[in-house]
Amino acid sequence: MPLGSRILALWRNLARRQRVEEDLDEEIRSYQGMLEDEKQQAGADPRMARREALLETGGAAQIKEEVRDVRTGAALDSIGAELRQSFRGLRRNPALTILGIAMLALGMGAATVVASIFYAALLRPLPFRDSERLVDLSETRKARGIDQASFTEANFWDVRSQNHSFEEVAAYTFSEFNLTGAGPAEKVNAAAITAGFFRTLGVSPAIGRDVSYDEVRAGFENNVVLLGNRYWHSRFGGEAGIVGKTLRLNDHLCTVIGVLPAGEPWLDRQVYVPFGYRPNADRGSWEFAVIGRLARGVSADAARADLQRIADGLATAYPKEDKGIGFRLDSSSTWVASDNTRRALWVLMGAVTFLLLIACLNVANLLLARGTARQREIAVRTALGAGRARLVRFVMMESVLLSAFGAVLGVGIAYGAVRMLQALEIRGIPRLLEAGLNPAVLGFAVLIAVTTGVLSGLAPALQMPIGGIAATLRDGDRQAGSRRQGRLRAMLVTGEVALSFLLLVGAGLLIRSFTQLMSVDRGFHTEGRVVFSVSMPGGYWQKGVGKQFLDRFFERLAATPGVIAAGAVSHRPVEGGDVGMGIDAVSVSDPQRKAPWAGWRVVSPGYFRAAGLLLLHGRFLEETDQPVWKERGEPEPLRHVVISERLAKLIFPKEDAVGKHVVLWKGQGGMDAEVVGVAGDSRERGLASEPTLTVYLPYGRNALTGEFVVYTRGNPLALAPTVRSIVARLDPNLPVADVRSFEEVVNRSVAPQRFNATLLAVFSGLALLLATAGIYGVLSYSMIRRTSEIGLRVALGASGSSILRMTVGQGMRPVLGGLALGAVGAWSLSRYFTTLLFGIKPLDALTYAVVALLLLATALLACFFPGWRAMHTDPAAALRIE
Amino acid sequence: MNLLQGTLDVLILKVLALEPMHGLGVSRRIAQVTGGTFQVKPGSLFPSLHRMEEAGWLSSSWGESENSRRAKYYRLTKAGQRQLKDETLQWARISAAMASALETS
Repeated sequence: MPLGSRILALWRNLARRQRVEEDLDEEIRSYQGMLEDEKQQAGADPRMARREALLETGGAAQIKEEVRDVRTGAALDSIGAELRQSFRGLRRNPALTILGIAMLALGMGAATVVASIFYAALLRPLPFRDSERLVDLSETRKARGIDQASFTEANFWDVRSQNHSFEEVAAYTFSEFNLTGAGPAEKVNAAAITAGFFRTLGVSPAIGRDVSYDEVRAGFENNVVLLGNRYWHSRFGGEAGIVGKTLRLNDHLCTVIGVLPAGEPWLDRQVYVPFGYRPNADRGSWEFAVIGRLARGVSADAARADLQRIADGLATAYPKEDKGIGFRLDSSSTWVASDNTRRALWVLMGAVTFLLLIACLNVANLLLARGTARQREIAVRTALGAGRARLVRFVMMESVLLSAFGAVLGVGIAYGAVRMLQALEIRGIPRLLEAGLNPAVLGFAVLIAVTTGVLSGLAPALQMPIGGIAATLRDGDRQAGSRRQGRLRAMLVTGEVALSFLLLVGAGLLIRSFTQLMSVDRGFHTEGRVVFSVSMPGGYWQKGVGKQFLDRFFERLAATPGVIAAGAVSHRPVEGGDVGMGIDAVSVSDPQRKAPWAGWRVVSPGYFRAAGLLLLHGRFLEETDQPVWKERGEPEPLRHVVISERLAKLIFPKEDAVGKHVVLWKGQGGMDAEVVGVAGDSRERGLASEPTLTVYLPYGRNALTGEFVVYTRGNPLALAPTVRSIVARLDPNLPVADVRSFEEVVNRSVAPQRFNATLLAVFSGLALLLATAGIYGVLSYSMIRRTSEIGLRVALGASGSSILRMTVGQGMRPVLGGLALGAVGAWSLSRYFTTLLFGIKPLDALTYAVVALLLLATALLACFFPGWRAMHTDPAAALRIE
Repeated sequence: MNLLQGTLDVLILKVLALEPMHGLGVSRRIAQVTGGTFQVKPGSLFPSLHRMEEAGWLSSSWGESENSRRAKYYRLTKAGQRQLKDETLQWARISAAMASALETS
């Protein structure tokens, strides 16, 4: 078995080197001894015999060397020797080594951080079995311009029972509960799921069991609950004994039957409760996310056709709610990252690649400068017969070594940085908690380390003298190849400047876009406002219990010193999202007209002032206004609503909306209401979304509001303890949750944009630093080489300023080339940026101008110092150097 | 006379096919079987022996020589026997080809 014996030999040669060597020594000695014996037997006297034997054997050292050369692993041995030599070389140049390693470590650290985020967000497979068969389902109303909407409960059950394409279809809806009976009341985020939900995903509980199909009763009032993995750890200490215990959720006792495995998406809620079929399920309210697992052998298109058939049936059977209904089927790969997140991560990936390239160019530059001194050594090696391949290896070894150290340090930096990002809990980066230095990311780091090492060693390696060894040996460092090298180094600077330009433009655009976003007219005000939620479970909607609480709560808040206004709203502004309705003027009779689609929010009268909304016409809602929903046993209420300005313009383009009547939920039932006021537009759905069309509905006994905004003098968060104690005294079963200043709510909503802008700014700052170092290094090196020439010029009467001009001119030439190249590059890449920008164009002239100026100014500064030194060259001293 | 590359290996294998031998023995036997044409120097003998041992064609062990000295003995392994057969065939082919080429021209 040849391979086996090779491996054995390799192991022996490397690990048992001493034994092998001793063995060889003894073998040669014994050979000599036997030769001696032979001579003596032939009649020579012992001394002669010994002499002849020695002569005939030849030098033992040479023999041993020859044997060593044929040993397995001999090449490894010589690489080891070169490695040691390169290592010594690096130690002799600590400045170069530290600088090089630092630059590469920064570049590689940044690349590794982005790679680990990128991997977790986009590449890591979903934690579900056969996820290629998993699909996302949604409803559409193409005729009304609705491309994607959640399912209604009844439509979901119909799709589930009528389809022939899916192994299982399951629904999921957000929910929340008040957990009481164990310390202070606590709000837990929850999801209500159908019994097959986790089976559809292909996930089984980490401990305990899944919901069984037959224990699901109609509605949400079941007695079993599953815990999310994180919540299980944080709230119950990861105790396995939790299974079988009961929790009091919204005053229902629920038995914990299992704990889910960790993961994202779908598995990151705190608790899960099941719900089952009910015959009177709602068909009007879009609230359910629906997932499906395609049956084996069924294609997505076949499933789409199947869904279309069901949609046609529903549209005929329920013309009121399901007119124009369609279904949409998307791949499960859309679950983790939205298109914009994907794009942003690709941009960051591109940015670190550029940064790494700049670091490579810089290290190449450093090594080139040193390479001049080294050409002599290389020439000597060439003269002694070293082959070209061996020389390239020798030169590359150093850059590879540098990049290896850089990689180790970079991975360390990346580890810390990823941990830091996780601790900051930056929102909007999918699966950030799962990002880390896993084998895939480390493999990537090794790959870039090798690539970086080879890339940065390439230029120095190509610079090796091929011919002209004699000239190199004779002239030493000064002349040979220096002109060619100067050109090469200038080209490297051009590359660095161009890449920096790209990065700076990217960062500039994102920063500009972010400031635009932050300064956009929001329509609401955040100063001095605190936002919190107090959610009231179903029981509070009966007999006015909840309204009574609200009345007393507002009464106490109004009496609290410092409070200017307090209000409540059904959907938290900016973070909360909202539900929509069709709305139009009563007078509209044209059946072809598409009714505007507006979000609705139930608000207390105090909300307008608390959120700082503007009143444009008429009046805000008042305590006397009643909820739009009719209460059992009461007459139809007199409905009053406030609408936002854009909506008013859309419905009543030519007249004042106040006093006019509108139809609410047009096409979904319909209710008549009078517009009593028009409020200013606000970006309640988030800063980046256009101002929403909004209908404000009055709160009341059957229209409770769980989100509160309180406007105070001074620090809004200082109010939190007061709020908690008021609520605890009024009703200890109600938890106060998600207390944040309004400003923070807004900041959280723009966290992804802030993250992208910050990261790109850091990367481009590093790029600028590296490029500056590169420009400075090249120019000052070239000036030192030209010292005598400059001395001569000064001696011949050149003025200081002309020397400075000449120097700076020489230094700036590659910079200007780089600027031109960078501008062209940025222009051609900028179209990938369009969707990431807010309020500016990708070809924003201001950004380009500022970036160009910044680069020019930095480059000038970098050129100035070598120029200044050249200007003050002492001609006598300079000429003496030669 | 200088040995062609690869010739030495085949000679060593051939010589060792008869009986295990130490380095000097190999050298002497080659001189003997080639009628003194090839004098193998230790500088080429030892690298060749070691290379073939690492390739798995030879195995070695320490033993006692005729004059009761400690000496390293080499013997052919199974793989070595196969190698010898292959190389013998190869040599036959080469020498036949060379001979015919030189005769015809």
